[in-house]
Amino acid sequence: MNKFFGIFILSLLFFSCSSDLDFDQANDLELKPVVVANLASFDIPANQFVIGGVEQPFVGDVMNFKVFNDPDFTNNLSRTDLYFEFDNTINRAFNINLYFLDANDAILYNIPIAIPAYTGSPNVVTKTEVFENAQLDILKQTQKIAFVIALMPGIPLTDSSLGSLKMRSSATIYFAAQ
Amino acid sequence: MRKFHLILILLVSLSCFSQNKQILYNFTSVPQSMLTNPGADVKYNWFVGFPLLSGIAANVGSSGFSVYDLFADNGVDFNTKLRNVVFSTSRNDKVSMNEQLEIFSGGFKLGDWQTNSYISFGMYQELDVLTYMPKDYAILLLDGNKDYLGKVFDMSDLNARGELLSVFHLGFHKKVSEKLILGARGKIYSSVFNVSSTKNSGYFYTIQGTNSVYDQVISANGLVNTSGFTNYIDNYSGNAKSDIMKKTFFGGNLGLGLDLGLTYYPKENLQFTASLIDIGFISHTKEIESYRWKGNYNYVGLTPDFILGNSNDILDEFNDAIPLDTLHTKYTTWRPLKFNSSIQYSFGDGRSSDCNCTGDKENKYTNSVGAQLFAMSTPRTPLMALTAFYRRQIFDSLEMKATYTVDSFSDKNIGLGLSTTLGKVNFYLLADNLLEFKDVSKANSLSFQLGLNIIFPNKNTPD
Repeated sequence: MNKFFGIFILSLLFFSCSSDLDFDQANDLELKPVVVANLASFDIPANQFVIGGVEQPFVGDVMNFKVFNDPDFTNNLSRTDLYFEFDNTINRAFNINLYFLDANDAILYNIPIAIPAYTGSPNVVTKTEVFENAQLDILKQTQKIAFVIALMPGIPLTDSSLGSLKMRSSATIYFAAQ
Repeated sequence: MRKFHLILILLVSLSCFSQNKQILYNFTSVPQSMLTNPGADVKYNWFVGFPLLSGIAANVGSSGFSVYDLFADNGVDFNTKLRNVVFSTSRNDKVSMNEQLEIFSGGFKLGDWQTNSYISFGMYQELDVLTYMPKDYAILLLDGNKDYLGKVFDMSDLNARGELLSVFHLGFHKKVSEKLILGARGKIYSSVFNVSSTKNSGYFYTIQGTNSVYDQVISANGLVNTSGFTNYIDNYSGNAKSDIMKKTFFGGNLGLGLDLGLTYYPKENLQFTASLIDIGFISHTKEIESYRWKGNYNYVGLTPDFILGNSNDILDEFNDAIPLDTLHTKYTTWRPLKFNSSIQYSFGDGRSSDCNCTGDKENKYTNSVGAQLFAMSTPRTPLMALTAFYRRQIFDSLEMKATYTVDSFSDKNIGLGLSTTLGKVNFYLLADNLLEFKDVSKANSLSFQLGLNIIFPNKNTPD
């Protein structure tokens, strides 16, 4: 009767096979997610450029932007595209500058964008900035972003001026982790 | 990157399975069958398990993919295989692992030969892991959200639990009438470590926006409870081995449990059994560390304020909206509750010529056929399994049970168990998914149990 038992155990051992496996393949793992996210947006009505009845030559704001400082985040970064889309319905042209600042407020990078005046037809300006390789270091050092909007010469704006200057922007972030 | 590897290894190794012990259940020539039904019709004068060898059981399963799917040495790029696995599984696919090792066990009959009351006791260590496929998290990790605008990522896809515990148990069963055997088993659990994150909810989506490029919303309500780990995280100076030993022997987080079971014979050759195993909880009070994140965040990006300069800081915004808290509050986990039931019809005269069964054997029948039902509670829908079985007394000293089981892991699970009693030494070996043994790497689940006992048989006559 022990034969039955023996046969059972032996058959388990002999008939059990396994295809060739290679667990070292796990080292080949590469993760390349691509993440899209909002970067910034604003919508400035024409009359906001007028303070106390006087048109301001430029407006601006400086904002903390430390997302790319986090080493966990940036160590696996391979590329970042920043996309900007402006829609100007004000009858004035603008020069917009985006400054990337480091911890000491020194300018690391500048994105200049010229926006033509609105003349009744659609007036959308887009721009995409690609950061790859060494340029990624600019993002990694960036602690603040400054938006500076300068009005180009033209008919002065008043409290009743129509239109607005809109911006939408997003980031497309390419990771490569191994 | 090591984090990713850890997650991956966890995913693969946690390919766990249910704790269905369909071959052992009601296989009454093996004393360990009492652990699946404290009211099993097991008779002995006394028995003792060989320490550490009386009950070794392991059970792994993965309903969505096999080891072969990921690690086949077939020239296909690993990343391709990983993608195939992620995209061919669903969030309800699970990986489970259960391992039990009996440290000691024994039992004896109470009173003299006329009584029919039995005590059984023992201690075993159990490792229990169940994790569901975190599908939406895996998609985010592999692809990000760029190509998934409009998809709602489900945060409840993170659903996993794992525990190492030891169980001390004491059971009693009694033949209360010619037809009915009732049994109960009390248990004390000592949890060495526990991780559980089974009640997460929330979502994350990105769609095209109007004022901003995207509408991005994250709503999260997550909680990971851990116990038994904190001492090892910071500046641990103790001896992990002796710590674990201490926790195994009642030094861990303690809990209580109860098993209930019965065997009923409506007719001599017709048997019905049922049991509830692990009606119990563990109260985690020591070495607790829990992580909770909860909140809603509608992410619009930077919104410069050109008038007042009150612009936002997106990192602060996020941390305020969905704070991550570390907690040290007690929590309770429920043991996975298992329900077993069987119906069995016996036939063939065990004392006829094709069996040399001798007088002291009580089995009147050589053959039995029947069906079993198994159910186990999980964080989502219960696991269910249906088994058809055939039992045969081949020789006086050899009993066989063959099973065919249908469950969510497999619809052609054939199992075979043998129990032999030579003299007073009982050895049993049970294995299921035998069809998968032709290539174990492609198996979705495998389990085996084996053990060695010394049994002094029941005596129904005075010496």
